[in-house]
Amino acid sequence: MECVVQGIIETQHVEALEILLQGLCGVHKEHLRIHELCLKSGPNLGLVSSEVRLLCDLERPEPWTVKHVGGPLRGAGAEQISVLVRNMVESKASKNVLRLFYALGYKLDHELLRVGSAFHFKRGVRITVTVSSINKMLKLHAIDDTVPVTPGIQVVEVTAPAASENYSEVVAAVSSFCEYLAPLLHLSKPGVSTGVVPTAAAAAASLMSDGGGTTL
Amino acid sequence: MAAMEGVMQDQSQLQNQQQQQQQMVAPERLNHAVQQQLNLESVKTRAISLFKAISRILEDFDAYARTNTTPKWQDILGQYSMVNLELFSIVDEIKKVSKAFVVHPKNVNAENATILPVMLSSKLLPEMEMDDNYKREQLLQGVQNSPVSSQIEKLKARIEMIAAACESAEKVLADTRKAYQFGTRQGPTILPTLDKAQAAKIQEQENLLRAAVNVGEGLRVTGDQRQITSALPVHLVDVLAVSDGMHSFSDSSGMYMKNTPPMSNSINNQGSMLQQPTGTPLLGRSAASPSAATSATSFDHTTPSPLPYANSPRSGTSIMNTPSPQQQVQQQQQQQRQKMMQLPQHQQQQILAQQQLRQSSLQGLGQNQLSQLHDLHGQSQQKFQPLHGQHQMQYSQPMGHQQFQNRQLSSGHVQHAMGQSQLNQGNQLNRHLSQFSSAANTALFNAAQGAPNTQMLPNMSSTMSSQPPVPRMQFGLAGNNSQRSHASTVLNDQMYNMGVSNPGGMMPIQQQQQQQLSSQGAYGMQQNAQTLQSSMAALQNASQNHPNYAQQRQQNQQ
Repeated sequence: MECVVQGIIETQHVEALEILLQGLCGVHKEHLRIHELCLKSGPNLGLVSSEVRLLCDLERPEPWTVKHVGGPLRGAGAEQISVLVRNMVESKASKNVLRLFYALGYKLDHELLRVGSAFHFKRGVRITVTVSSINKMLKLHAIDDTVPVTPGIQVVEVTAPAASENYSEVVAAVSSFCEYLAPLLHLSKPGVSTGVVPTAAAAAASLMSDGGGTTL
Repeated sequence: MAAMEGVMQDQSQLQNQQQQQQQMVAPERLNHAVQQQLNLESVKTRAISLFKAISRILEDFDAYARTNTTPKWQDILGQYSMVNLELFSIVDEIKKVSKAFVVHPKNVNAENATILPVMLSSKLLPEMEMDDNYKREQLLQGVQNSPVSSQIEKLKARIEMIAAACESAEKVLADTRKAYQFGTRQGPTILPTLDKAQAAKIQEQENLLRAAVNVGEGLRVTGDQRQITSALPVHLVDVLAVSDGMHSFSDSSGMYMKNTPPMSNSINNQGSMLQQPTGTPLLGRSAASPSAATSATSFDHTTPSPLPYANSPRSGTSIMNTPSPQQQVQQQQQQQRQKMMQLPQHQQQQILAQQQLRQSSLQGLGQNQLSQLHDLHGQSQQKFQPLHGQHQMQYSQPMGHQQFQNRQLSSGHVQHAMGQSQLNQGNQLNRHLSQFSSAANTALFNAAQGAPNTQMLPNMSSTMSSQPPVPRMQFGLAGNNSQRSHASTVLNDQMYNMGVSNPGGMMPIQQQQQQQLSSQGAYGMQQNAQTLQSSMAALQNASQNHPNYAQQRQQNQQ
């Protein structure tokens, strides 16, 4: 299981956000460059097609990561919390995993290249924050030939692994962390749009400034 | 420590007072009960022990400071809390008893009577008093000598100045807050709003982005565009060999059709198809590569499989659990039917020639025969001409009305004759399809009784589905096992592996069947290509295996 929220931020404020995150998390940012292949199963594997994501970290090409995202937690309680809790299974695999899935009958649905930075830290629970731009490949598997889907906006994801016993704690930790980012961006469940935050510009300016020593 | 000392002093004061009282009112003792309650001795010892504990802690700190080690804060805090508790309890005890004592000022007179209570209540501890005096001196440095009113005025002036400075500082802070648009703690927040057009644009972009990340909208590439024209990136180079990769994206295949290239090439070559006249289904192979010779040899390596496997009939594109190479061959052949290449005839015939005498090309030949059957469908009946030694060649050669450029044949006229005989055979073959099918039932029965052929079973299920009419028809025909010993039935038993699922174990009776089957010859003709193919495969097997086959059949026919 994982708890996940997503938000958007304008590309001009990304640097300020990274500074803020570095201060909040206490870790240095890691560069993120992930080739994500999304495979969908063919009809030979059942009526309902399942989806699996293969992530290849281009900084560290072995091993690959296989990720299956399941359905979200449902119910009245789930609607009240501002964080999405969903089933997720992730595992490392060798580079042959792509061939394996093709042999099973999965077909490539879409692929994208995620370029940005990631922060992994622990605040009671392990939290990962990624700020990345999503790039589309113009030709199949051409990772050098990409164009951002939205040039001016990047996506911010905050995820934390959870178990069914402790997900409420994880939810609390993630939501409290997100409050720190309020001046720059709003985070919400994936699929719920938030818009940009009006104070983002000012907050970014103050983060980028040299510590408030400006004369008025 | 200050509190500690304060307590000590209180105690000493109390003691003093006691002593004074005792001295003044000699010997007036404290109320015995109070004295006991006060329990001065114990308080003293406790106070002393507390003092020692505190001094120990201080020494520890000194040691830490000298040796520059980090103190263990847990321990120190623990000790401190103990000391704190102890002090608190001592003070508490004394407080209980202090009610019995009253501060009795010595010099009360008219002058200070009124303010004495205030003074008493606000009396500071000595060091506090010292601090107070010191600060007062600092404040009133210049004006200590002048009268009090002027001191007061000067102080007031100072206060006002400070107040003004504070106000201006506050103002500056508020202005800064406004400039940076942070919410003031007191006042309302002023949020800048994006103009609507910009907001709408951003909203649109946001939707795009979120959809791309979560669902993959806008990232899908259509099948046409999914051609790898550029080089694969590093991390995919070994993962996706080009041949595999190309085909795994194609819509038609989820399977690894091209995963056995040597196989497919050989298949292409071995029984390469003839060009069909119009209207007939394509039964051919894909284009034969120029390396026909090499691929033919490679195919040789696959198997000269034992006879039972040779003619496992395939129905359509069914996939077996344990495909033998021949089965794979057949499967691929059938798949490639739809992709018939328009070969120039000479290529096909060349390939045919090279593979004529190969035992293992049975299935290909079977396919060839099928095409022959189709061609001969409407042709007139001709006598079946037994050409025993040439059976293989006959069935592998193209139809008579196509030019035959077989290098391996000796003479042209022979070719022609053979072509004719093929025609004859083709016609005869039509009639015998159903017979062969029944023979296949026999074979199945025998196999079930004798050595079970595990590979037959999956075939059975597949062919059953595609040939429902045939076995059922024949179930009704044959039912007598008594003639099993008949030579022809024995012959058929050995040969066929039609794989028709026939748990009933039909034993076709050759003689009896003939009349019935001949009437069913037409019926057999009407069956689909797959049935024909399987029958032809059986036929081929039979023709290959038994030397007397042609004669036998002739006999049966007659």
